[in-house]
Amino acid sequence: MIMSKQAKKIKKILIANRGEIAVRVIRACDDLGLTSVAVFSECDRTAYHVRLAHEAVYIGPSPSNESYLVQDNIIRAAKETGADAIHPGYGFLAENAEFAQRCADEGIIFIGPKPETIRTLGDKLQAREMAMKAGLPVVPGTDSPTDDITVAKKFASKIGYPVLIKAAAGGGGKGMRVVKSEEAFEESLATAAREAKSAFGDGRVFIEKYLVKPRHIEIQILCDEHGNCIYLGERECSIQRRHQKVIEESPSPVVTPELRQRMGEAAIGIARASGYVGAGTVEFLVDKDLSFYFLEVNTRLQVEHPVTEMITGIDLVKEQVAVAEGRHLRFTQDDIKLNGHAFECRIYAEDPEAGFMPSTGQLKNYRIPAGPGVRVDSGVVIFSEIPIYYDPMIAKLVVWGSDREEALARTRRALEEYRLSGVKSTISFHRTVLQNERFVKGDISTHFLEEEYPENNYGNYDDELMESAAIAAAVEKFLTERKISVSNSGSSHGRSGWVNYHRATGLRKFGGSR
Amino acid sequence: MPRYTVTVDEREYDITLEYFSGRLEAVINGEKRRVLVHKLQDTRSLLLIDNRVLEVDVRTNGAGTVSGERIVFMRGREIPVTVEDYSLAQMRKTAGISSHVKTEKSFVAPMPGLVVDVRVEPGQQVNSGDPLVVIEAMKMENVFKAKSAATVKAVLVTSGQSVEKGDTLVEFE
Repeated sequence: MIMSKQAKKIKKILIANRGEIAVRVIRACDDLGLTSVAVFSECDRTAYHVRLAHEAVYIGPSPSNESYLVQDNIIRAAKETGADAIHPGYGFLAENAEFAQRCADEGIIFIGPKPETIRTLGDKLQAREMAMKAGLPVVPGTDSPTDDITVAKKFASKIGYPVLIKAAAGGGGKGMRVVKSEEAFEESLATAAREAKSAFGDGRVFIEKYLVKPRHIEIQILCDEHGNCIYLGERECSIQRRHQKVIEESPSPVVTPELRQRMGEAAIGIARASGYVGAGTVEFLVDKDLSFYFLEVNTRLQVEHPVTEMITGIDLVKEQVAVAEGRHLRFTQDDIKLNGHAFECRIYAEDPEAGFMPSTGQLKNYRIPAGPGVRVDSGVVIFSEIPIYYDPMIAKLVVWGSDREEALARTRRALEEYRLSGVKSTISFHRTVLQNERFVKGDISTHFLEEEYPENNYGNYDDELMESAAIAAAVEKFLTERKISVSNSGSSHGRSGWVNYHRATGLRKFGGSR
Repeated sequence: MPRYTVTVDEREYDITLEYFSGRLEAVINGEKRRVLVHKLQDTRSLLLIDNRVLEVDVRTNGAGTVSGERIVFMRGREIPVTVEDYSLAQMRKTAGISSHVKTEKSFVAPMPGLVVDVRVEPGQQVNSGDPLVVIEAMKMENVFKAKSAATVKAVLVTSGQSVEKGDTLVEFE
């Protein structure tokens, strides 16, 4: 690596986050030989990310606005531990320009873009203007956010339904609604505005043309402070529910080398225009005819960054740290070669069949899959509690294969191998989708789930599964009751019938040569 | 020989278990299955049903032990199952009671969270699928709908109120 004059070696990183992303960053710190500092709220006292870090600081009560979102507490924790850099992960303070500025003022390196860049790109209107100036195609929509229902409605009629209502300060699907007809407009606007107000403190919204059955494809970018900027291929994130991604893959089944280059160069275009430094993602909607439209720039590490890591062999968190130290990128565009195919399944503590309702509680059993091509970024371990206060994503299953078919087969295998009980999860949902013919062919859009599973009918219990569950339950009842009766009557050799029973069956199974 | 009536997703199975000198045989709707059980830990066990391997976690939750309700975690799924003694199930059927009569008498919060909207009022007729209450939890709004047609007797929450899992929010006639 070439060190620039201003280069400053980072020695200790405070991770201003929790869950799997905190674990992910702690691992990068370990790989780099850096000291990691975790922060934790009341309910996260024994969380997995805390257990893995070198040092940990309590930052407040469980609600995130009293802990993970309190800038003072995070800065204080950094000062107290002598951390010279803060990695914000995603969510929480990751795209908060004020916080990035605060870090700079305190002499702490914020691992992310400059505050001005975060501010400009975080404002959807300014980002859109910047994209247009940089020559990127955009979807027709309002030029400014509004909370005036008459103005909004008039504009919607002008561009024609369906339209998308988007919170001015939104993200992660919150405060976002699709309206198919004029009749539903007012109620949708009210709901979106209320969600936006409660999540971001700003109820203003944008109205834009809603593309029918587009794909969501995004470009990973990496830029240093010396003007070098590269793109690391795309990620297809079309499998979404409630506008939140659930399955991602790279490369996209429809992106050709030529399209990749055009999208990549467009992404670099807006990166340069905004003076981007660090890792970032430029999101696009891709229409049926493969024309693409700029959506937004996420000025942080994305949840789905591992699929890019799997096919490029580049550790994005490590590169974020290098860039934050002021180093030159170690790669040129020509160095970036895509190898194979990767999928990511987001494992949420949610009930897919009840409209993905969050499920809280304790993980009574938890065992992650392994084997060729499998990487699990998990924020929990067995007996972890899933708190109600935060995003219910508990892990990401990331699988690599030499081509899409192999990656798909390995992902299915890994899902079979996953063991999780105590809370509901999206594992069975993933299994169902990964067997869907359209998905297997790569014939997907952001509407895939609502088209294929309009009733959230992801269960599809087959006969064998139902019969096995019936036998398992009957056997459990039988053994439980038998255990009680035997121990009550007392056994002469001091062993319960349970033990005898298992001894007998155990001998039957393990008696033969294997 | 223990005989059970087991219900999975509204399908009924008649299961007889035969147990002798460490062997377990299940006769399910007239078909024989050889079953080997190895306890793993707590409620988890490894079943071999006709040599097919299944890692299962059969859990009861609270009242479940009495009513025979179990949750079987297997192959990434959480499958609700009801197990009853065959004779009791027969008596129940003779009396004309369904095993899953869940006449919705109330709507109980399925998770803790913040009530952001109440869509019903006392005296209101609701149909299956009509929205009752909107609860925000984990930063998402969740709309809870009526499971069957009913008349609202009382609404016990107001918008802005925090609720715990298990709190009764709406009562029906």
